[in-house]
Amino acid sequence: MKLLREFKVNFLNFVNQENAKLTLLLNLIEPRCGGVLIVGKKGTGKSTLIKAFTEIVKDVGIPIYELPMNATEEAVLGGIDIENTIKYGKRVFQKGFLSKVNGGFLIIEDINLFPLDILSVVFETQARGVNIIEREGFKLSEPSNFQILATMNPEEAEFSSHFLDRFGLCVFMDEKIDKEKKKEIIKLHCFGGEENSIDELIGKIKFWREISKKVYVPDDVKEFIAEVVLNEAVSGHRADIYLYYASKAFAAYKGETIVTEEHVKVVAPFVLNHRRRFIEPPSEEQEHSHESSNTNSDENKEKKEQKTSPIKNEDFENAKSQEIPSSEKEEIFPVGEPFKVKRLILRKDRLIRTVTGRRTKTKAKGRGGRYIRSLIQKRQEIAIDATIRASAPFQRLRGMKDSLIILDEDLRYKEKERKMSHTVIFVVDGSGSMGAQQRMTVAKGAILSLLMDCYQKRDKVSMIGFRKDKAEVVLPPTSSTELAIKKLKEIPTGGKTPLAAGLMEAYKLVKNLHFKHPEMRFLILLLTDGKVNVSLTGKPLFEEIQSICFMLRDMPATDFIVIDTEKKNSFIKMDLAFKIAEWLNARYFLIDEIKSDTLAQIVSFYKK
Amino acid sequence: MIFLFTAIVNQEEMKLALVLNVIDPSIGGVLIMGEKGTAKSTTVRALAELLPEIDVVKGCRFSCAQEGPFCSECLERIENNGNLEIEKKKMRVVELPLGVTEDRVVGTLDIEHAIKRGEKRFEPGILAEANRNFLYVDEVNLLEDHIVDLLLDSAAMGINTVEREGISFVHPARFILVGTMNPEEGELRPQLLDRFGLCVQVNSIRDKALRMEILKRKIEFDDDPEGFYKKWENKQKELAEKIIKAKERLKDVIVSEDALSAVVEITGELNLDGHRADIVMLKSARAYASFNGKKEVSVEDVKAVAPFALKHRLKRLPFEDITYEAEKLNEVIKRI
Repeated sequence: MKLLREFKVNFLNFVNQENAKLTLLLNLIEPRCGGVLIVGKKGTGKSTLIKAFTEIVKDVGIPIYELPMNATEEAVLGGIDIENTIKYGKRVFQKGFLSKVNGGFLIIEDINLFPLDILSVVFETQARGVNIIEREGFKLSEPSNFQILATMNPEEAEFSSHFLDRFGLCVFMDEKIDKEKKKEIIKLHCFGGEENSIDELIGKIKFWREISKKVYVPDDVKEFIAEVVLNEAVSGHRADIYLYYASKAFAAYKGETIVTEEHVKVVAPFVLNHRRRFIEPPSEEQEHSHESSNTNSDENKEKKEQKTSPIKNEDFENAKSQEIPSSEKEEIFPVGEPFKVKRLILRKDRLIRTVTGRRTKTKAKGRGGRYIRSLIQKRQEIAIDATIRASAPFQRLRGMKDSLIILDEDLRYKEKERKMSHTVIFVVDGSGSMGAQQRMTVAKGAILSLLMDCYQKRDKVSMIGFRKDKAEVVLPPTSSTELAIKKLKEIPTGGKTPLAAGLMEAYKLVKNLHFKHPEMRFLILLLTDGKVNVSLTGKPLFEEIQSICFMLRDMPATDFIVIDTEKKNSFIKMDLAFKIAEWLNARYFLIDEIKSDTLAQIVSFYKK
Repeated sequence: MIFLFTAIVNQEEMKLALVLNVIDPSIGGVLIMGEKGTAKSTTVRALAELLPEIDVVKGCRFSCAQEGPFCSECLERIENNGNLEIEKKKMRVVELPLGVTEDRVVGTLDIEHAIKRGEKRFEPGILAEANRNFLYVDEVNLLEDHIVDLLLDSAAMGINTVEREGISFVHPARFILVGTMNPEEGELRPQLLDRFGLCVQVNSIRDKALRMEILKRKIEFDDDPEGFYKKWENKQKELAEKIIKAKERLKDVIVSEDALSAVVEITGELNLDGHRADIVMLKSARAYASFNGKKEVSVEDVKAVAPFALKHRLKRLPFEDITYEAEKLNEVIKRI
């Protein structure tokens, strides 16, 4: 263990991951490349690489700081220096990360796990180039030009496309590494590598930085840049600008002073990777850049094979599903029109949490959360600014000499608040009866509306479908609404109604998630017409459902909504959905009801 | 250094909506909606360069106007010596950052003054700075609810009343609210939405030549900001002067009966709630006429600004394509 800890991988003997190394160097050559987001699964060396790079940046003489996950807003922006403020009786400012990092790099590891409010503040400041501090009585502005080097593991959590766009470059860590390279990595970690001196590299970087100033971009190459970006149909104009600077940096890296189309082609994937609609594993272009950055071609072949295989699988499965003879016809209904959903207000509870999101406000635990106002009532954290203000007018009276005299009665506390998100689980009835009279189309419209609502509130969504003889998790919990919409479109209709199986699946999912994330809250949204006809255990249908409902109801931190899609004007109505709502203690809506009234009118207006 | 307003390629609607607000601040601000990376924030920040000077009470920390309303301090001045001196002050773009705390928005007790003198004095906040200036909120849809409440409160009254930490203070807080947002990230609260006089939609430019032009100008600016400023100096001056002239003429521009009925007809056709739409539309049409050196507001002027005034007030479905809705609006405008 000791050996491992002592050994530091340096940038030079870091094995493979040429793309990631290149993007980092490009940023060092030309900071206007706009930072790098390194995407990779756990254990692919993201952090190690960043750490090795940090050493180099420091040697070049550029500030580099890592933003810790637990950083508070005060620590990020800057805030009151408690010790000196009390000592001198006047507000003393303590610089935040965003001021300290001016002219350098800010490292954000696992950026997709960071609280959103902190990230909003960071990116807002970065865009402005100035850190404006308007808090706790301070009014300052400090220069804050920096680039962000971030890592994320897409398995852990999603990341908003809005934030993605702020990154100049994005690179995927190679996961496929050949055996020889693997051996090399293991050897390196166990026995240490050659003590490569990075001085030579530092010298090179300084040289590249010098020539990058002289690099010239001919007009036809500029045009080529515009074309490349236009072909990708990405939104906004950031891509053009970053591609321009990345190409320039790459030319300098190659020791050339004129940028060619070839240079542009090599760096284009880094600029465009994350601006496409989804973050996808490396595509053709990514490999293309591989070839140019001379990695061996065997590896490329291997990758291509790997890439084509999922498509084959899909085809195979499609074929399979067509083969299965279905007694009842199966249809896929289009998604109905979205409509404005009523604001869903959920039970507030008193559990103090540390999670983030936007739906339900919760009292924040620990140092996180936003400082809303000061209170006289005792809380965990003292609001220094308010305490000093409270004591200030009495200082002369109390005979203040060297430091402020603060009495118990002056103490003020911070009230903090943070919004918490939910995991919303859609349990969707896909049985044949839902297909009648376009019920599924309307239902899909309703789900779409709710999905949009979930995205804005930063909820996670999951989807369970039940039809024929079983229920399955169509969509495991994710924050990607785009993926959810895609899955929603694909939900087929046809077959019997195994409602009990659907509820049981939801129960299993919640139980599992609750175990992993005890702080998470759940919202189960059951969408059914209640025409149940398949039992899970062989017990009577209603009895079975009732007992599952009671089990679900006892789950902690779970709310329920039942949306009834049954046509209420027909002769044979069962109203089972209503009963389920009662058993679950759920809010019950008829499908037509969940739209807010005025907007429903507009829907019909537009339909004309 | 900030990029120059006149050097921003295209995005004419956004630029016009901002200029109209400089000409007539009572229009009530602009909400700029658009995709990421479409120069929303850059344009607003660049506006600062072009802003004219206004008359303010000399030495007033709240930029009170000569004709009022007045802050507590100016009222005291009037009581003590009767008249107020006037000085010129350039209008500003005051930013409201996302991480702002309540005490900095409304103002708070001046600690140092309190310690040294044992007196309570008011220390102005952002609302004070924003009085008669532009108040800019980037990502306005991400602003915390409790801060939005403060903004709505003072926007409605035009006054910031402070009662905290033993201080009582009143000062005018009439600001031109400018917000940018990416609608994908969440919607705006309806009350706040309605506070914005105008609304424009910006899209990324698909034309290759224009995209190249954007890239070229951005590079030129990055490489040599001073040189870039010199190159665009004349254009900037030209526009600044045009705005000042339009501002001076504004009160003399006549509103024809035709223009007035065009306004009423459009809002009537669209079945809108409230009167804010009518008022804003007419005011913008007048500013638009003045900007173009006209003496009278025509129906054409009304038509030109109607989309800005109405876009965010139409009853629409969330997530619905705005272009579709704009077509609807265009139809109505065409008919009149």
